Amino acid sequence: MVARDKQSRGLFSVALLIVIALLALPMAAQDNVELTLSIGARGFGDAAPILIEACENEVGGISVEWERISDVPNESRSIYVTNFTARNSKPDIIAVDVIWPGDFAARGWVAPIEDYFGEDELAEYLPGFLAAAQVGGSTYAIPLYIDGIHLFYRADLLEKYGFDAPSTWEALISQAETIVAGEGNPDLAGFISMWAKIEGLFMNWLAFFQGAGGSFFDADGNLGVNSEAGVKSLSTMVGMLGSGVAPESILTFRPNDARLLFQQERAVFLMVQDFVLATLTADDSPVKDAVQFTRVPYFEGNDMTDTTVIGGFLLAVNKHSENVGAAADFIKCFTSYESQVQASLIQGKVPTRPAVYDDERIVEDAPGVAALGANFVYAFARPSAQTGAAYPEISEIMQTEISAALLGEKTPEQALADAEAQILAIMP
Amino acid sequence: MKYANRAGPSFLAPALLIIAFVLLFPIFQTIVLSFGRNSTSIFIGYEFAGLANYQRLLNTPRFITSLNNTILFTAVTVPIELLVGIGLALILDRNFRGKGLVRMAALFPWALPTALNALMWRWMFNTEFGLFNSMLSDIGLIAERINWLGAIPSAMHVMMFVSIWKTSSFMALLLLAGLQTIPDDLYEAGSVDGTTRLSEFRFITLPLLKPAILVSVLLRTMDAMRAFELPFNLTDGGPLTSTETLSLYAYRAIFQYVNFNLGSSAILIQFIIIMTISVFYILMIRRGDL
Repeated sequence: MVARDKQSRGLFSVALLIVIALLALPMAAQDNVELTLSIGARGFGDAAPILIEACENEVGGISVEWERISDVPNESRSIYVTNFTARNSKPDIIAVDVIWPGDFAARGWVAPIEDYFGEDELAEYLPGFLAAAQVGGSTYAIPLYIDGIHLFYRADLLEKYGFDAPSTWEALISQAETIVAGEGNPDLAGFISMWAKIEGLFMNWLAFFQGAGGSFFDADGNLGVNSEAGVKSLSTMVGMLGSGVAPESILTFRPNDARLLFQQERAVFLMVQDFVLATLTADDSPVKDAVQFTRVPYFEGNDMTDTTVIGGFLLAVNKHSENVGAAADFIKCFTSYESQVQASLIQGKVPTRPAVYDDERIVEDAPGVAALGANFVYAFARPSAQTGAAYPEISEIMQTEISAALLGEKTPEQALADAEAQILAIMP
Repeated sequence: MKYANRAGPSFLAPALLIIAFVLLFPIFQTIVLSFGRNSTSIFIGYEFAGLANYQRLLNTPRFITSLNNTILFTAVTVPIELLVGIGLALILDRNFRGKGLVRMAALFPWALPTALNALMWRWMFNTEFGLFNSMLSDIGLIAERINWLGAIPSAMHVMMFVSIWKTSSFMALLLLAGLQTIPDDLYEAGSVDGTTRLSEFRFITLPLLKPAILVSVLLRTMDAMRAFELPFNLTDGGPLTSTETLSLYAYRAIFQYVNFNLGSSAILIQFIIIMTISVFYILMIRRGDL
């Protein structure tokens, strides 16, 4: 009896030791600050794990978990809305669409991080892009990659009819009409883009609008929507639909629908974001040798206007994160010159540091990316930083009114006047 | 006995508490939020705004449009689904070879997840690559492609069609269950009295099927009033807001504009409408007449 008692006591001690050892294990590993990075699986793809590992080593003392979220902005936004209204401390680092920093900053969801970056360092990013993340003197996000809108065209068809790439809308429309009439193919469309009632439609109109000399806010900060340039841009879009240069179905197109039609050799011009370039030039693409691109056109006499609407993603830090400093260090590494070169080479990501476009490795191994750089000289961001938390609603109003004009429910003048009235009513 | 009765509620209490927490609390929170301003929680930073959100909603043409769309969608689809459902149920109730297989096939649309179903039809109705336009133009019925989902009001028509296609089989299933509870001897007695097919349906089948009809119409009406996945995946509420339903509007208010208060008010209005309709139906079921 006594012996057995001793035996069981011995067993108990061993068990206790094991428990203590197990408890101690995570303590030993706690030197590492654990961070969660929330970014789309398709967006950064193969480059993500490679760059995460590289930055874990470079920054030191951190381990980063990759949380794969949706690449559809509205879906990932829903996830953030849920987490941040609940004041969750995770994810620490989030990828934000270029139109979100103003909104998220106004709601107190993301932390200002300019103190972790020198002024010189911030100046290395594309100023037009960084501006979208700067509110009231603070910087809330660091540009990761650009997804700008460009004009893609069928170089073979243009050459056949003796055209150069169009730089004005007037030229584009007449080229499209000539080519479509000449080809006599009922399945060939002149111009396609994303004119479904989505954010992309607002981006589209903004490009037309700026190309007509317009500006969403004028120099004094007044709303410039309901103006001569506004009417000219919207009337041109309505006219392209009416004359058949753009097919009726364009009103249901999102970027990928348009890309698909173009890839099936059924369109002359395609105006969407540059993420389509990889698919259009892939080995199995019927248009891989024929597709070329240029900057988005402007209206005659406005050649100095910025018409490259930029989209893309930045990295921001959750305001309730327990490790804002470590997160900022990680972002610094993840968006560094070398990281951006790697992201371009591995995943075709378009850099946010102008210097990267001239890097020898990019010029040689990713010439497509290097060529896009020229269009970003004309880059401009949507009015999201200025409008803050009201941006999503303002964009929705613009989408609705532009759609109403395209569907023929309203005249362009009426649609823009209505848009102006609604926006003024909700502007902060 | 008395003792046991007194102990009963205390045993139930833990379960009731959990139910109250997961079921009643969200409803309570939605109600309170709908009277708030700039508030995302009823505990932290809640600000009372009275009826401001409701006033704003009733003055928002877009909300009124979504309300009208939802009512129109429900009023058109539910009666048609009922008629198709009765027809299907009568066929499925017959005795014929391969009955099991046909029943399974008829249930197929209902078994498909709504979101998947919507995406499938979205492709078939696609203007450029869709099945319907290519079939119609191949047999020469149309010269130009029809812009099914990109025009008003055809997008709403397509949405109604897809809903009817999908949920008629659900109606049929419920009605079939109702049909099978009708005893055969009633039909035998009827044939002794010389009923025709029509009078048999009119005087035996229909009256005895009434409870099943009411239940299935009730369920479908509630479902149609809440339609979300279908418009979200088929049309995203477009073109313009011609297929935007109440649920979609509330979703946008909350997740896109991060206005929990406005969204909650929209949900509450929807909730009240659905409750009113349901109570009306349930009273009819209780009274046992149509």
